Amino acid sequence: MKILRALGLTFLLTLMFAAASSADEAALRQTVTKFATAKGFPAIEAVVRELGATGDPAVEKVLNALSEGNLYVRKSDDGVFIGKEGGATASLLDPLSGEPAGEALKAEITKIRVNNSLRGTIRDVLGTLTLGSDDPKVRLAAATTMFKSPDADAIPALDAAIAKETEASVKARMQDARASAVLVSDLPEAEKLAAIELLGKRGDRDTLSLLTGFQANAQGALKNAAGAAVEHINSTLALWQTGQNVWYGISLGSVLLLAAIGLAITFGVMGVINMAHGEMVMLGAYTTFVVQEVIRTHAPALFDWSLAIALPLAFLVAGGVGLAIERGIIRFLYGRPLETLLATWGVSLILQQAVRTIFGPTNREVGNPSWMSGAFDLGQLAITWNRLWILVFALCVFAVLLYVMKRTSWGLQMRAVTANRRMAASMGIRTPWVDALTFALGSGIAGIAGVALSQIDNVSPNLGQGYIIDSFMVVVFGGVGNLWGTLVGAMSLGILNKFLEPYAGAVLGKILVLVLIILFIQKRPRGLFALKGRAVEA
Amino acid sequence: MSKSNTILYLDGVSVSFDGFRAINNLSLVLDKGEMRAIIGPNGAGKTTMMDIVTGKTRPDSGEVFFDGEIDLTRHDEAEIAMMGIGRKFQKPTVFESHSIEDNLVLSLKGPRSIFPALFHRRSFEETRRIDEILATTRLEAKRHDLAANLSHGQKQWLEIGMLLAQDPKLLLVDEPVAGMTDAETEETARLLKEIAKTRSVVVVEHDMHFVRELGVKVTCLHEGSVLSEGSLDFVSADERVVEVYLGR
Amino acid sequence: MTGRFFAAGADRRIAITIAILLAVAIVVPILNIAVPPASAFHVPAYIVALVGKYLCYALLALALDLVWGYCGILSLGHGAFFALGGYAMGMYLMRQIGERGVYGNPLLPDFMVFLNWKELPWFWHGFDHFWFAALMVMLVPGLLAFIFGWFAFRSRVTGVYLSIITQAMTYALLLAFFRNDMGFGGNNGLTDFKDILGFNVQANTTRSALFAASAIALALGVFITWRIIGSKYGKLLMAVRDAESRTRFLGWRAENVKLFAFTVSAVMAGVAGALYVPQVGIINPGEFDPANSIEVVVWTAVGGRGTLVGPIIGALLVNGGKSWFTGAFPEFWLFALGGLFVAVTLFLPKGIVGMWDQWQNSRRERRAAATPEQGIPPIVEVAMPVKQKPAAKSSPTPLDGGEPQPAE
Ligand SMILES: Nc1ncnc2c1ncn2[C@@H]1O[C@H](COP(=O)(O)OP(=O)(O)OP(=O)(O)O)[C@@H](O)[C@H]1O
Ligand SMILES: [Mg+2]
Repeated sequence: MKILRALGLTFLLTLMFAAASSADEAALRQTVTKFATAKGFPAIEAVVRELGATGDPAVEKVLNALSEGNLYVRKSDDGVFIGKEGGATASLLDPLSGEPAGEALKAEITKIRVNNSLRGTIRDVLGTLTLGSDDPKVRLAAATTMFKSPDADAIPALDAAIAKETEASVKARMQDARASAVLVSDLPEAEKLAAIELLGKRGDRDTLSLLTGFQANAQGALKNAAGAAVEHINSTLALWQTGQNVWYGISLGSVLLLAAIGLAITFGVMGVINMAHGEMVMLGAYTTFVVQEVIRTHAPALFDWSLAIALPLAFLVAGGVGLAIERGIIRFLYGRPLETLLATWGVSLILQQAVRTIFGPTNREVGNPSWMSGAFDLGQLAITWNRLWILVFALCVFAVLLYVMKRTSWGLQMRAVTANRRMAASMGIRTPWVDALTFALGSGIAGIAGVALSQIDNVSPNLGQGYIIDSFMVVVFGGVGNLWGTLVGAMSLGILNKFLEPYAGAVLGKILVLVLIILFIQKRPRGLFALKGRAVEA
Repeated sequence: MSKSNTILYLDGVSVSFDGFRAINNLSLVLDKGEMRAIIGPNGAGKTTMMDIVTGKTRPDSGEVFFDGEIDLTRHDEAEIAMMGIGRKFQKPTVFESHSIEDNLVLSLKGPRSIFPALFHRRSFEETRRIDEILATTRLEAKRHDLAANLSHGQKQWLEIGMLLAQDPKLLLVDEPVAGMTDAETEETARLLKEIAKTRSVVVVEHDMHFVRELGVKVTCLHEGSVLSEGSLDFVSADERVVEVYLGR
Repeated sequence: MTGRFFAAGADRRIAITIAILLAVAIVVPILNIAVPPASAFHVPAYIVALVGKYLCYALLALALDLVWGYCGILSLGHGAFFALGGYAMGMYLMRQIGERGVYGNPLLPDFMVFLNWKELPWFWHGFDHFWFAALMVMLVPGLLAFIFGWFAFRSRVTGVYLSIITQAMTYALLLAFFRNDMGFGGNNGLTDFKDILGFNVQANTTRSALFAASAIALALGVFITWRIIGSKYGKLLMAVRDAESRTRFLGWRAENVKLFAFTVSAVMAGVAGALYVPQVGIINPGEFDPANSIEVVVWTAVGGRGTLVGPIIGALLVNGGKSWFTGAFPEFWLFALGGLFVAVTLFLPKGIVGMWDQWQNSRRERRAAATPEQGIPPIVEVAMPVKQKPAAKSSPTPLDGGEPQPAE
C-alpha cells in the first residue's frame, strides 16, 4: 500500500517537476538514483561529480543531505530519499524538491556512508553549484571559495558560469578561480601560462601564496612565468604596503595637524611659544570625558552625539582658559618670547596638577560613538573609522581656519599683526585685542583637537605633554605665519615617521625625525614656508 | 671700467626680495681715498646696497669687488669686516650694556678669534688708541658710562668711533646725522671730512645741508639704480632728481 | 659710572661666594665625620647628601647662566649634558661593581647579562679607568654641545627656535636612552653602585668627600665663569647677546663666540652630573626629561640670571623648597613650581640678586643725590631724586636675552 502510494506520489511529483523545471529534470533524477547502486566511495564520488557537472542548483539538497549523512536508499526499490530519523520510522523527503515522500521503517532503508574526502568533494561541488545562484553575492562568495581551494574538476562548471555571468566583478573573480583551477589541472602549458598571467594581475596575498606554491613544483617556462608573476605581485603588494604606510602617515599627520594648528596661529601672530598648548588639548579631552559621563548617567541615548556636544564645549573651555592666560600673564610679557615660554610652562604645570587633583592621575575612559568604531577595507588598505573621521575633522578645522584668516576682517587684522606689529598698531588695529582673541582661538582649537584625540589616545593629565614637542616640530618645520606650512609640515612629518618606523622601529624612527628636523632647521632656520622680509629678521 | 685703483666696484648688481627688485642693475664705482655721498628717496635701496657690500645680503646677479680684486660676494660679514670695511647702521647700534670704553675695546683692530680674546690684556698702544678715538668723538668724559645712557647723537658718534677703532679702509656710513642738532650735524661733517683724508667713505644721507657741507661727488639712487651722479649742483639740477626726490 | 659700581660690587660678592664654598667644602665634612652625633654642631649624613646634591644642581644652574644670562641662549636642553656626564660617571661606577653584581659576571654589568649579551659593547671599554671616565664626563657633553652648537649657531638659529631645538635634542636623547639596545641599561638606567676609586659609595666618609668635591667644583665653576666673563671674550659674549649683527660687522664670528660658551657650559653641566650620580646612587633616562631642563631654567631665573651668584642661590632655594614641599604637601609641589615660573617672569624678571642690585643701586643714588644738597631749599630736594630716577632703569640687561637687536 505504502509503496503504491509512494510511487504514485513520486509519479505526480515527477509530472509536476517536468512541467515546472527544465527538461533535464528526468536526467537529474536518473543520476540521483545512481547512488542506490554505487558501491564504495570512489563510485559515490563519481556520482557526486556527475551531479555537480550538471551545474543545476537543484542538486544542492541531495548533496547537502549526503554530506550530512541523511541520504538513504530504500531497499525495496532502490529509491533515493532524504531521510529524517524519528524513532523506528523515518520520514522521507524527495531528494530534489525536498517535498515529503512518505515514511519508511528504519529497517527498510540504508544510509549512504560518506568519508571526509568525500565530504571535501561535496563541498567543492557545492561551491561550483552556488555559482549558479541568483544572488550575485553568493556567486561571488562561491567563486572566492573556489579560488582559494582550486579543483581541476570544477573547470567545466566555472566555464559554464563564466559564460552565463553578467556581473563584471563576479565574472572577474570566476575567471580568477578558473585560472587557479587550471594551475592544478593537467591542461596544456599554454593554458597554464595564460592562467598565470591572469593571476599575476590580481596581486593579493592569496594569489601570492597560490603562485609561490605552484612555482615550487613547476618546471621550465611555467616556473619562470610563475616566478615573474610572483615578483609582479610582490611589487604590487609593496605598493599597497606603501599606500598603507601613507595612510598611517596621513592619519598621524592629521593628529599632528590638529595638535599643532592652534600653536601655529599663536606662534605666528604673537611670536609666543605657548608651552601650555598641550594642556589645552588635554582640557578638551577631559571636557569630552565629562560630557560623556553626564550623558551616560542622564541620557544614554545621546551617546552617539557626545562628540558633537563636546566640540563647542571644549572650544569654550580651552578658549576661555586661553583668554585668561593671555589677559592674566602673557600680555605683560609682550616682546619677551623666552619669558613667555617659561611662564606658560608654569601654567602648564599648574593645569596638569589641577586636572590630576580633580580627575585623578589615572587614565579616564572615553568611549567611541558607534560611527567612530570599526574599520573597512579599501582595496588592500585597512582603514579604521575613527582615524578617517579625525582626518576629515582635521581638514575641516584647517579649512575653517584658512577661511577665517583669509576672508574675514579679523583674519586680515591677524595677518597684519603677523607681518608688522608696529605698523598694524599705528594703522588703528587694536593689537592687544587681536592678541587676546588669537590666543583664545588658538587655545580653543587645541581644545577641539583634544576632543578628537580623546578618541585615539589615553585621556590622562599627561596627554598634552605627549603632543607638545611634536607640535613644535611641526610648526618649526612648516614655518611660522603660514597655515599651509603647518599642513604640509604635519603631513610630511607624519608620513616620514611612519616610513621610518618599519626600518628603525617606532622609537628610533622618532629620534631620527627629531634629528632630521634639527638638521633641517640649520638649512632653513625659519621653516619650510617662511615669511620673509625685514620685519622677520629684526 | 677698470677695477684697478678702485676701492669699491659694483657692476650690474640686482637683488630682489620675494619678487620685489630692491636693487636693479646697480653700478657704482668708488676710487681709493674718495668720499661719496649717496642720496635718494626712501626705499631707493641705499641701505640694501650697503647690505650687499657688507655681506649681509647676497646679490642675485652682478659683481661686487673691494680693493680692485676681492670678490665680496664670496665672503660673509665677519670676513668682509676683517678686510677693512666698516659700517655704521641707519639705527645706531652699540653694545648698550657695556661702557663706552668697552665698546671701543671690542672694536679695536686686532685678532678676532676666541682664545686671544679670552687671554687678552690691554696694551699701552691700545689704551692710547682708545684715548685718541674718545677725543675725536668727544666722548672722553663719558668713557665709563654705559652706552645705553648716551643720547641718540652720542650713540651715532660712538658708532663712528667704533668704526675708527676698526681702522677700516672703507667706511659705509648710513644716515649719520639723523636726529642731530644743526651744531652736531656740522660737527659730524667735520669729523667725516677728517676721516676721509685717510680712508674711503660712503655716506648715505637725506640732509642736503649736510651733503653740501661734505662737498663731494653725489650719487642719487632711485628704485635700485643710479638716477644721477656728479657734483651736488649738477645732481640737484637734474630734472629727474628733482622729480623723484628733492621736489620742486 | 653705575657700571663700574656694579662690577666692583659683583666682584666682591663673587669672591665671597668662592670663599664660602671652599669653607663649606672643608667644614661640613669635618662637622659630619669628626663631631660626635650627640653634639649640636654635628651635621647629619642626610643633610650632607641633600646639600651635596643641591651643589651639583647649582653648578648646573651656573652652567646655564653662562649661556642664558651672558649670551642670551635659552637652552632647554642643559639637562641632557648633565645626564650625559652622569652616565659617563655611572658607567665607571658600573664597571667598579665587578663580580659583585647579582649575576656575578666579572665582565658584564647585570643588565647586559640579563639581556643575554655576550661581550661588552665597544663604547663601554675604558670606563673601568677613572681617568678615562673623568675625561668622558667632560668630553661627551662638550662634544655634543660643540656639534649641536656648530650646526645651530652657524645657521643663525636664535631665540625661541633655538630653545625648541635644544628641547628636541634632550627629548631625542630621552627616547634613545630608554631603549634597551642602546646599552645603557634602558629604563632602569645604571644603579647599585658599590665603589668609587676603591671607596664604598655608601660610606659616610665617601659621601663627605663627594660633598667636598661638589663644593670645590662649584667654587671652581664660579671662578672660571667669573674669569671668562671678566675677560674681553666675556664682554664680547654679552655684546653678542645684545647686538649680534653688530659684532659680525666688527669682524667677530658670533657663532664661534656662542659655540665656545655653549661648549664650556655643557662641560660644566657634565661635571655637575658626574658628581651628582655617585651621591644619589642612580642615573636613568628620566634625567633627560625636558621638564628637568626647564626646571633648571627656573632656578637660574629665580636667583637672577647674568649674576653668577644668582643661579646658585636660586638652585639652593628652589630645591630646598622642593624637598620641603614634597615632604609636606606632595600634591602641591607642581602648583608651587608652576606658580614660581609665572611669578618670577612677571614680578622678578631679574631674579633675587638682580632685584637686590637694583634696589641697592637706587638707594645709593638717592643717598648720593641727597648728600650735597643739604643747604638747598626743600623744593629742589624733592625734585632731584625724581630727575635721577631714570638711572634706576639703566641696568641694561635686556629682559629678553634671546632677541637680537635689529641691526638697522
Ligand atoms: N630683507 C628684506 N626683505 C624684504 N624687503 C627688503 C629687505 N631689505 C630691503 N627690502 C626692501 O627693499 C627696498 C629698499 O630698502 P632700503 O632700506 O635699501 O631703502 P633705503 O634707500 O635705505 O631707504 P631709507 O632712506 O628709508 O633708509 C625697500 O622697499 C625695502 O622694503
Ligand atoms: Mg636706509
